Amino acid sequence: MRQTRGRDRNTIILYINGERHEVGGEQVFLPVTDYLRYGIGRTGTKVVCAEGDCGACTVLLGRLGNGEIGYKPVNACIQYIYQLDGMHLITVEGLKINGELNPVQEAMITCHGAQCGYCTPGMVVAMCGLMQENLCSQAPRPATSQEVREALTGNLCRCTGYESILNAGAAVNPVEMPSLQALYPSVEMAGELEKCAGETVCIEADDRLFLNPVSIEEAVGFKAEYPNLTIINGGTDVSVFCNKRGFEPPVLMSLSKLPDLDRVEILDGWISVGARASLVQLERSIEDIYPELHRMLNVFGSPQIKHAGTLSGNIANGSPIGDTLPFLFVTDSEVEVTGVSGTRRISMNHLYTGYKTLDMRPDEMITCVWIPMPRPDETLRLYKVSRRKHLDISTFTAAVRMQKSGDDIEDIRIAYGGVGPTVLRLPKTEAFLNGSRFSEANFREAGKIARSEITPISDVRGLQDYRFQLAENILLKFYTELKITGQEVRV
Amino acid sequence: MKPEKVVGQNIPHDSARGHVSGESLYVDDTPFAQGELLVDFFGSSVAHGRIKKLDLEAAKNIPGVIALYTYRDLGGHNQFGPILQDEVLLVEEIAEFIGHPIVVIAAESRKAIQKAKAAIRIEMEELPPVFTIEEARRKGQFIFKTRIIERGDVEKAFAEAEHTLEGTFYNNGQEHFYLESQAAIAYPGEHDTLTVHSSTQHPSEVQAVIAEVLGLGCHQVVVETRRMGGAFGGKECQATHPAVMASLVALKTKRPARICLSVDDDMKTTGKRHAFHNEYKVAFTKDGLITGMDVHLYSNGGAANDLSTAVMGRAICHAENAYYIPNVRIQGSICKTNLPPNTAFRGFGGPQGMANMENIIEEIAQFLGKDAYDIRVLNCYGTDDRNITPYGQTVENNHLPEIFQKLEARADYKNRLAQIEKFNGESPLYLKGISLTPIKFGISFNTKFLNQASALVNIYLDGTVQVSTGATEMGQGVNTKIRQIVAEELCLPVEAVRMMATSTEKNNNTSATAASSGSDLNGSAAADACRKLKARLVECAAGHLMSDHPDVDSVEWDETGIWDRRDPKNRLSFQQLVKLAHLDRVSLGERGFYATPGLSFDWEHRDPQTGKITAYGRPFLYFTTGCACSEVLIDRFTGDVKVVRSDLLMDIGRPINPGIDRGQIAGAFIQGMGWVTTEDLRYSDTGDLLTHSPTTYKIPNIQDVPEVFNIDWIDNPDNTVNLRRSKAVGEPPLMLALSVWTAVKHALSFVSNGDIVKLNLPATNEEVLTRLTDYANQGKLETGKIMDSV
Repeated sequence: MRQTRGRDRNTIILYINGERHEVGGEQVFLPVTDYLRYGIGRTGTKVVCAEGDCGACTVLLGRLGNGEIGYKPVNACIQYIYQLDGMHLITVEGLKINGELNPVQEAMITCHGAQCGYCTPGMVVAMCGLMQENLCSQAPRPATSQEVREALTGNLCRCTGYESILNAGAAVNPVEMPSLQALYPSVEMAGELEKCAGETVCIEADDRLFLNPVSIEEAVGFKAEYPNLTIINGGTDVSVFCNKRGFEPPVLMSLSKLPDLDRVEILDGWISVGARASLVQLERSIEDIYPELHRMLNVFGSPQIKHAGTLSGNIANGSPIGDTLPFLFVTDSEVEVTGVSGTRRISMNHLYTGYKTLDMRPDEMITCVWIPMPRPDETLRLYKVSRRKHLDISTFTAAVRMQKSGDDIEDIRIAYGGVGPTVLRLPKTEAFLNGSRFSEANFREAGKIARSEITPISDVRGLQDYRFQLAENILLKFYTELKITGQEVRV
Repeated sequence: MKPEKVVGQNIPHDSARGHVSGESLYVDDTPFAQGELLVDFFGSSVAHGRIKKLDLEAAKNIPGVIALYTYRDLGGHNQFGPILQDEVLLVEEIAEFIGHPIVVIAAESRKAIQKAKAAIRIEMEELPPVFTIEEARRKGQFIFKTRIIERGDVEKAFAEAEHTLEGTFYNNGQEHFYLESQAAIAYPGEHDTLTVHSSTQHPSEVQAVIAEVLGLGCHQVVVETRRMGGAFGGKECQATHPAVMASLVALKTKRPARICLSVDDDMKTTGKRHAFHNEYKVAFTKDGLITGMDVHLYSNGGAANDLSTAVMGRAICHAENAYYIPNVRIQGSICKTNLPPNTAFRGFGGPQGMANMENIIEEIAQFLGKDAYDIRVLNCYGTDDRNITPYGQTVENNHLPEIFQKLEARADYKNRLAQIEKFNGESPLYLKGISLTPIKFGISFNTKFLNQASALVNIYLDGTVQVSTGATEMGQGVNTKIRQIVAEELCLPVEAVRMMATSTEKNNNTSATAASSGSDLNGSAAADACRKLKARLVECAAGHLMSDHPDVDSVEWDETGIWDRRDPKNRLSFQQLVKLAHLDRVSLGERGFYATPGLSFDWEHRDPQTGKITAYGRPFLYFTTGCACSEVLIDRFTGDVKVVRSDLLMDIGRPINPGIDRGQIAGAFIQGMGWVTTEDLRYSDTGDLLTHSPTTYKIPNIQDVPEVFNIDWIDNPDNTVNLRRSKAVGEPPLMLALSVWTAVKHALSFVSNGDIVKLNLPATNEEVLTRLTDYANQGKLETGKIMDSV
């Protein structure tokens, strides 16, 4: 084990509903929900699935940025205490205004938005998050039904059928909600959070080590020093393994304090996505540039997951059903990795060498993802098939990017997910279509060729035959969509 | 000015303030008591096997592990069951499903429990397992006997039929997915007593089984239920097992003991809605009028009966749904398999019986090339004739024909059908389907003795009231409704009335809160208690208001107080009256009781005309009915199904609380929609549930709510047989979601090349794409692969 450096702090400092908590030792390695419920007796936050798929544990996570604390809904069950140094957590218990229920809570009561009540705290918190966002916008107004749906995608309810919750969401006038900044105005708290951002944290307890570096150099140094180090970024995958598979990483490093990695910018014809930029940031930044990716990110997961999860995390996890991967393959995006010897860029098409295996050295970590800007004459379509449309892991994903020259296909790139150990490009199918006419017959034939290039398995999300059929059909769907709806419209 | 009546008002749920602030307490929200232990169990890893060797030594030595118990440590006996005593709490020799509990573990930390589980050494001899209805039928593995309802001359009807169809129909099961998993805490008391906080729909059964299994008297066990975080039938019988485990630990160690299953363990080891695989034959005229039907329902009961016989009973009694069938034979058999015992789930066999019938109607329509709506209306129970069910009960005050007509107009069914026909002819990307289906759901437990309830109403000297009934609150709002009933009976504001946690100490020998009957039964019992209290208080008031000539008939009582009609200025407030009554030594507490009148039902009735055995009688006090019209959009390439619009219209009598009833309708419908679309239980070939958390088991989320979702009910004052002319509403609307499934079947009929569409339930995108592929004659997919929940 590492000799703890004297200058590093060996506790986590966080605020919960405005109260200061300094946590050390083994408690640092607790899920936030355990700390809340069994550590400090705040049992309003419920745990149902412990894997970020039901939203009952939703809390608002506040962190300092641009001089004020911004709050985002996240799943507390897959946030561990070690992730929260320098942050302010608001739970359902912390949402009253001077001891009175807030307008969201009142609306949930009058609209019968709660039945058994078990999902309700999470619903209320997520809805307060929505109102908060609305309040930050130029002209606050009641949320539309679609906005309420989007905001509560990650909150399952088994009692109400959601109808009353939709009504409650629409009934709240956000201007009657105080801002969370106004509810928690403490200058001392903000000051301490700012101070924490600049402090390296290093905690050793129970034979485990947690590292929270403040610079990329420090982070890369740690990575080189501990080959068995597990990186925690949003934690939306790793924390699930910890909760469900008994995974106890001996050395953990959080990227939460690395500067400058939280941006999405356009540089030299590329979109640069910092390793810490959340999927929500990405979704909002590329709406006009890549509407298809925006649509994919919309069904990718819940706001709670997308506020915590990152594009680099999706890449690093390397699952063959990672929803963003086919897009990154067909656009020839590049991954920037940084190690002790410097920085290099790897094409997405060469990154994976096998199931969840990445062509990276032990000291390297992903620091940025580079997505080329779309060419004006290209057509891009992304597909995701899952049992349930929203908040579900894919059975099958696909990306098709095409450039035509007259009635002929000039260049087509096809990537499929969920039909092999990694996301796959389909070279034979692409070769068949390249230079061919853009016709139903050719796409029908291409579908059959696509079948020969994949090796799907049967699992809980679908039988092998189903995946084969989807792989075949999706090309014809692509053709049909373009044929009847032109390039832009989508039913 | 007279305040508004309380009954019929849309007041909030009595726990709503606690729910939205996180202050409502559930079992696992209770602070840990001194010395409290955590409890869990070690279950079988094979679906069918004999224990050859069990070694607990290593597990016992793990620090923090306090005790490990097997069946040998149980005080009374291991055998129990709500209907048949065919179940064991802990496996003695043969494990019959994966997760079948073998060892109860008590420890001081979760980590110690995990380590203990890993350290238990067990050798099992694997025995051949059976998972599907087909295999069980082949091997003759049944639970109990086949039940039958038979009326008329079925053979003759088929011999004389203009048309007949026959086939099989499969529906999968459904996971309850209550958000709060099974949980209980047992607190040991003096003299071997126990107080148990259990998340159960049936405290009396938990009490009885704890006593029985641990060798105690029921008077040594108190079971209390404040509320459940959802139940849906899943906590009617199956909350018992964890509560008994915690009680075993508390009794043996004399330390409080808590058990809370993880969602994964809960889903893997507890029972679900029954899968059914049925055989049917139907005879009908060229117009689609059904003249005969012969149905054999087969359910997958799992490893023990649990409530399977009762579930099958209700399935049989709903297998004709809303249709009059003159010659009919309905049989039901329960298959014994190596899955966790299947159990109650909202609808309780009704959904499976009705799904089978609606499938038949859809097939008749497709066979005849007619609109299924017309077939439904043609066969619907009549108001004056054609209104006797196969088991002999008359469908009284039948509003279904009216509802059909009204909903057809409101949903603009015929026009939309025409538009859909056009759309399907033109769209290369999508297919649409529309369907309007009815439900008729019998209210009362089929088993007569269960239709009773008691309530305790205590008035305190400050004029406030506590009410305890046998009803348990699982979110459905039963406490809110009873609170309204009591407030109105005693002419009090609802704020003066508080609903107490359900406790076996307050109300004994209660029935489960189930069968949609919670408010009917317990509300009636509470009203009975109020009337008795009121009679005593009126007498007391008469004595004080009219000291010369007390006359109870001259006492007036409303929200403003109690007075002498002949001298209105002479009045008492409720609080004053209560105090006077106390001084007069008049009891201010009362126990109310209710037994549903007029019920009779015999499974073994011999029909005097045919001489055959049939179920017969009046099992239900009344029927809750309704119709739903749903439209679906299907992606022709992926099979994705989207419900774009649903219109619901019901007869729920006069609601006690319209806001709560509306919530029941919306919630049940969406839950049913999940059953018929995305909820897809899948098992490994060794019988291990693969869909054991929300990551893989997909209940509807908020984005699945139809964009147009209209909910309404007709104004119907004629249900005079029930409490305040209300009707039960908990389960019936779930079955309205069958309209979604039949709409999918309808959509597929546009591409089936004239064949009758065969479709399993649920209509997942995988199931739908399989059919689409077959019809497109691309022939790559094997059909019928997703069989019988395996």
